[in-house]
Amino acid sequence: MRESIIMKIHYGTAVAAVALVAVHILFRFTLGFAESLEYENVIANYQFLPYAGMLEIILILISIHGFNGLRVVLLELKQGSQYEKSVNYGCLGAMALVILYGSRTIFMTNMGMM
Amino acid sequence: MPNIDENKEGIKGMANPTRYGIERFAYLLMRLSGLGLLVYFVVHIYETSMILQGKVGWDEFLEITQTTEGHIILALVIGMSVFHTVNGIRVMLGHGGIGVGKPARPDYPYPAQSQNAKHKISIYSAIVLAAIAMMYGIGVMFGD
Repeated sequence: MRESIIMKIHYGTAVAAVALVAVHILFRFTLGFAESLEYENVIANYQFLPYAGMLEIILILISIHGFNGLRVVLLELKQGSQYEKSVNYGCLGAMALVILYGSRTIFMTNMGMM
Repeated sequence: MPNIDENKEGIKGMANPTRYGIERFAYLLMRLSGLGLLVYFVVHIYETSMILQGKVGWDEFLEITQTTEGHIILALVIGMSVFHTVNGIRVMLGHGGIGVGKPARPDYPYPAQSQNAKHKISIYSAIVLAAIAMMYGIGVMFGD
């Protein structure tokens, strides 16, 4: 994929993530910071389907943005065919792992599989 | 054969904020805050997975984060995310050609049109906003 397209994805995921993370943070203020983190309230958040869907989207957006950012930083440090290939695939793999692990939490909690 | 590595300073060169003004400092902070936020994101994903261990597992892990050290780390995360967001918007606008000035004849001392007051003010604003957000966050967390 061309770097210009990757940067458009990078910026697009950033703008979308800022908007959704703002909603995610506002949820912490609905009951007060400490109370909103109590087990029952967190479970209720996860079992509210629109919120769980939003968490999944945030997970994907930030994973793409974060690991692409890491890839850019690593490619600025050093160049070379083998190195660049390792960084590209390494970041892609790490991104996929984080998305899978986070999705597991969201799906299992949403379905009541605790 | 010329030494192709002679001008490569690696991390040392990237981390030197003293040579090129506030723009270079913003460049460094942008990368540091980005890496810090990525670390926090991965830890946050792991932390929230504790919900699968039931109420006991969740409460035990939450206790670790509800300490003074935990609150300080979270305050730093708030500061990093605000700086990264505000400075990121500046960078995005700059890449889109907004606020970088018009091309002009290069006269001594050859100031770069793109390194203008708008960008400098935006960088300082990002730092100030991050500091305000951190103080607000500290107020909320330690006030509970």
